[in-house]
Amino acid sequence: MARVLSVLGTLLRGLVQCACIVMLTFLLCRVMPGDVVDVLGLEGGLTAEQQAQMRHDLGLDQPLAVQFGDWVTHAVAGDFGRSIRFDRPVMDMLATAVPVTLRLTVLSFAFGLTLALVLALAATARPSRLFDVLIDGVNIWSIAVPTFCAGVIAILVFSIWLGWLPVIGGLLAPVLIIGLDNAGQIVKQLREELKEAVTLPHVRTARAKGLSPWRVSVFHVMPATMGVVLALSGLVLGSLVAGSLTMEVLFALPGLGSLTLNAIHGRDYPVILAAVTLISVSLVLINTTMDVLHRLVDPRLA
Amino acid sequence: MTHPVLELHDLDIAIAGRRIVLDLSFAIDKGETLALIGESGSGKSMTALAIMGLLPPNAQLGARSRLLLDGVPLRPDDETAMRALRGRRMSMVFQDPMSCLSPFMTVGGQIAEAIDRAGAADRTSRRERLIELIELVELPDPPSIVRRFPHELSGGQQQRAMLAMALAAEPRLLIADEPTSALDATVQAEILALLKRLQARIGNAMLFITHDLAAAADLAQQLVVMRAGEAVEQGAAGAVLAHPKHDYTRRLVSTRSILRAAPAPAAVTRGQPAVEVSQLAYDYPVRRLFARPWRALDGVSLRIGAGETLGILGESGSGKSTLAKLVSGLLRPTSGEISLFGAPIAHARTIDRDLRRRCQIIFQNPYGALNPRLTIESAMREPLELLRLSGSGSAEKIERALADVNLGPEYLHRYPHQLSGGQRQRVCIARALLSEPELLICDEIVSALDATVQMQVLLMLKELQATRGFAMMFVGHDIEIVRWISDRIAVMHRGRIVEQGDAAAILTAPREPYTRKLIAAMLPPLPDVTITDATQVA
Amino acid sequence: MSARPIAMMPAGRRASFLRRHCPAGICLPAAIVLLLAAAGLAAPWLTAHSPLDQDLLQLNKGPGAGFPLGTDHLGRDILSRLLYGARSTLAVSALGTVIAFAAGAGLGLLALTLGHWAERILFAAIDLIRALPGTLLALLLIVGLGSGSGPLTIALGVSFVPVVAYVTRAAYHREAARDYVLAAASFGGNGLHILSRHILPNIAGTLITQAAIILPRCIVTESVLSFLGVGSSPDAPTWGRMIADSSRFIERAPHAIMAPLVTLVLLTLSLSLLGNQLRRRFDPIRQETDVPGPAADPAPAAVRPVEAGGC
Repeated sequence: MARVLSVLGTLLRGLVQCACIVMLTFLLCRVMPGDVVDVLGLEGGLTAEQQAQMRHDLGLDQPLAVQFGDWVTHAVAGDFGRSIRFDRPVMDMLATAVPVTLRLTVLSFAFGLTLALVLALAATARPSRLFDVLIDGVNIWSIAVPTFCAGVIAILVFSIWLGWLPVIGGLLAPVLIIGLDNAGQIVKQLREELKEAVTLPHVRTARAKGLSPWRVSVFHVMPATMGVVLALSGLVLGSLVAGSLTMEVLFALPGLGSLTLNAIHGRDYPVILAAVTLISVSLVLINTTMDVLHRLVDPRLA
Repeated sequence: MTHPVLELHDLDIAIAGRRIVLDLSFAIDKGETLALIGESGSGKSMTALAIMGLLPPNAQLGARSRLLLDGVPLRPDDETAMRALRGRRMSMVFQDPMSCLSPFMTVGGQIAEAIDRAGAADRTSRRERLIELIELVELPDPPSIVRRFPHELSGGQQQRAMLAMALAAEPRLLIADEPTSALDATVQAEILALLKRLQARIGNAMLFITHDLAAAADLAQQLVVMRAGEAVEQGAAGAVLAHPKHDYTRRLVSTRSILRAAPAPAAVTRGQPAVEVSQLAYDYPVRRLFARPWRALDGVSLRIGAGETLGILGESGSGKSTLAKLVSGLLRPTSGEISLFGAPIAHARTIDRDLRRRCQIIFQNPYGALNPRLTIESAMREPLELLRLSGSGSAEKIERALADVNLGPEYLHRYPHQLSGGQRQRVCIARALLSEPELLICDEIVSALDATVQMQVLLMLKELQATRGFAMMFVGHDIEIVRWISDRIAVMHRGRIVEQGDAAAILTAPREPYTRKLIAAMLPPLPDVTITDATQVA
Repeated sequence: MSARPIAMMPAGRRASFLRRHCPAGICLPAAIVLLLAAAGLAAPWLTAHSPLDQDLLQLNKGPGAGFPLGTDHLGRDILSRLLYGARSTLAVSALGTVIAFAAGAGLGLLALTLGHWAERILFAAIDLIRALPGTLLALLLIVGLGSGSGPLTIALGVSFVPVVAYVTRAAYHREAARDYVLAAASFGGNGLHILSRHILPNIAGTLITQAAIILPRCIVTESVLSFLGVGSSPDAPTWGRMIADSSRFIERAPHAIMAPLVTLVLLTLSLSLLGNQLRRRFDPIRQETDVPGPAADPAPAAVRPVEAGGC
């Protein structure tokens, strides 16, 4: 019962977070200098009357609260409105963009987490100078080299100088770059945690019982590190968003990031709102899942 | 011919080039217990880990060191060979059962792992053995214990579960590394008795590691006293205790016998009491929604006369430290009255500076009570400034206060990390006495110190009280220490005072069952020793 | 990379004097940072060209006379854009870090000193924006605040407030639980006294370390934002914008993209190496575990006589 309540509490907090983010985004979209009509007006040379008419048609002359209420009622029903610039349902645009981003982020996440885990495990099992240097290197790389710089370097080296990869379209380069970046962010802490976990008192007890090394690691060390792995995964997911944003722009991938950025430049708020809502809801959902998983692994938290 | 179960010859252990254990030799026979006694950092736990082959990777064994189990040489650096012995021929229980049991696995699962090590068994016989082991360590309701997680058990129950695990294979050698230090006195007595019964039944040799001389005397036939990695004295328990040869052993032994000696009754002073507390209750504030507040203190009433020492005796979680914080004004009670020197403070928003001057508190952990970034001088200047006592004479005042606790002026410019635990606690006492308080609240002030240092601090405190005449509220869990220092004792249990009265009377004629249980848990006195006067300790 | 010489320094026997007083792990990155900052400040005197002047006869020229680092696709002097870029990047990021600390640490400490409820309210508010990753939050803020270096600085600062606030809170609670804080309270010390005398000196190391970590992250975020084309005006000389603009001409003029890229990586690398050094020196958590010191064990030989002479 207590366990169910605490999971519900976590979910509820996540929902409140989502609601606040959506409200904040809505507000920011409306206070931003220059609206979509201005942008269209500049491009299409509309008269002031035409612009006013357009604002009226789009409901932009209504009070903010009314507009927001309108949007929410539709959004809850799954209708995010139509793009003002492209006059297409936002849902359709999301439907084409999301798979691209999903592929990119899931692959990057898998690669990054695997790389970090492999490096950290190797360094714990066989402490050596080589692994330390590798771990430090990956860590410093992720801090010092922003993903878009790594992308530019990759294009320059592999695609132009060596002629290996097609400059655009391929997922391999962005996945490797984001994955490496993610791995660098967590690998050091992961290694420290693993190092500490093998010296935990209950792990010593397990060894004192004479259990085999694999049994000690699987049943006694691993549960102790699950909490950290989950927390670090949550951290990585946040940085995935930023990473995929720049990678999509640089490698011209038609994903959620490109869509959001184009919408921002074009002041196309139905699209901005829908994209940010989607991103924040999925982040909160993922974090909640991590939280629940952690509670399942560690009986003390329930 | 028969070999001793365990033999150690010239055991040497070095960690990162520093020698932790030097030339240690002893042997334990079947069914016999050897106690390794020493203070923190004396190398006793490392000895145990070396026998089990669990030394940290940076530790090195001396070239001449030989360890024999049943006459067969042990090779502590050969993990595969040692692993075959661990959990079968020898096993170990550790100090802090809470962190030594895996929090992620049920108690039954963890014991079952040990049963699997002892020998392959089918499901039903494993289950039977599990219940049998849990019954062996006298845990209640085995079927339900099996399903529970360690954090759902009490400290004593956790240590019993550890014992069940260690005894699953009926090992030849059981190593018990401070198995009762983290537990309350009553639980400690139960576990020690259980260890004795189990040994009689299984016939294992036992290496018992402790800092507590009385526990060692209670359990062991042989004693090895360690200091800074060296065995300073070893032999049959009776002989070592009756005629300690080494200075350090003598101090350890006399510490206990001083505590046994009845102190002279304090002169009863009349006049305004220092503290009067009536019907005090305190609820810990809740951090989570819908949780009920936890009542740490309930219906506590007491009185401390001027110049009198009231001992507050209780186990962990009895609310005694909360009481100390309430009386010193660091917490505000949920209900009830506290008056310090006649002034009510229970519901006052601020406490008058003059009252703060007259009442001071000292905390348990001398490592945390001094700011690491302030020198001893500036740490001692702080109360003078805050209590508006600083003036032209404060430098001399601080120096004199340090001299009172036997610390020279050279300590003024040192930082806390350059001092030992006992020295820090003396600085804390000096700091508390700067404002010449009429009431000193001591919250477990010697619990974090080693036995011999404890006695020095206590003797000093008593002497200071004799010259200055302040009243004391002495909070502690060690029944002998509290009895020795107090005129009267209040026994606390689960947030209530269960019994209150003269120190001598409470111990000789306890009225309440809980007090009786506490006194029953006291270890039997050591054999009479020739040295009993206080000067021998110094 | 320059991580290599640092890792190998202890093995080298020479330069022991230098190593003691200014190890390469500190000196080299510090020199790079200072050099870039000085060059940024002195930009008007170091270059003959304005960063905005276009010379349509000299498009995508390689390094050579007149243009030490060449020109970009609009014929603008790359060196001049690079130096002015250093100026704006460093100013915006440093100010952003200051804002993150003023708001995160300042408000955090205020709320923590005020008590339980102030703390809960502040951190509930911070939790609401914490669900968004920093870069996305900064992006949205710029959308609302408009472009320009002012809004950019604020957006950068605010996007790092949650991190700083959480680090501050953890450090505060770690110190506030110590007995010396209780002791000071028992002498009648008020919140301000305890904060200034006990807590601040003990958490300063953690905060300084955190600032050293945040600054390069601010620079990276700033460059990402300008790479995405938000935050600064389209022709403003920022490194991210230079990289984005030149990426279309990457084949013809790789020098135009390499100059800002190498400078950016060199700066963030130096700053994060400095941050690592600072952490090694200041972070109390590391100190507690790394340095055994006399606190860990009551060093028997030295202490014993005094201890024994107690009474």
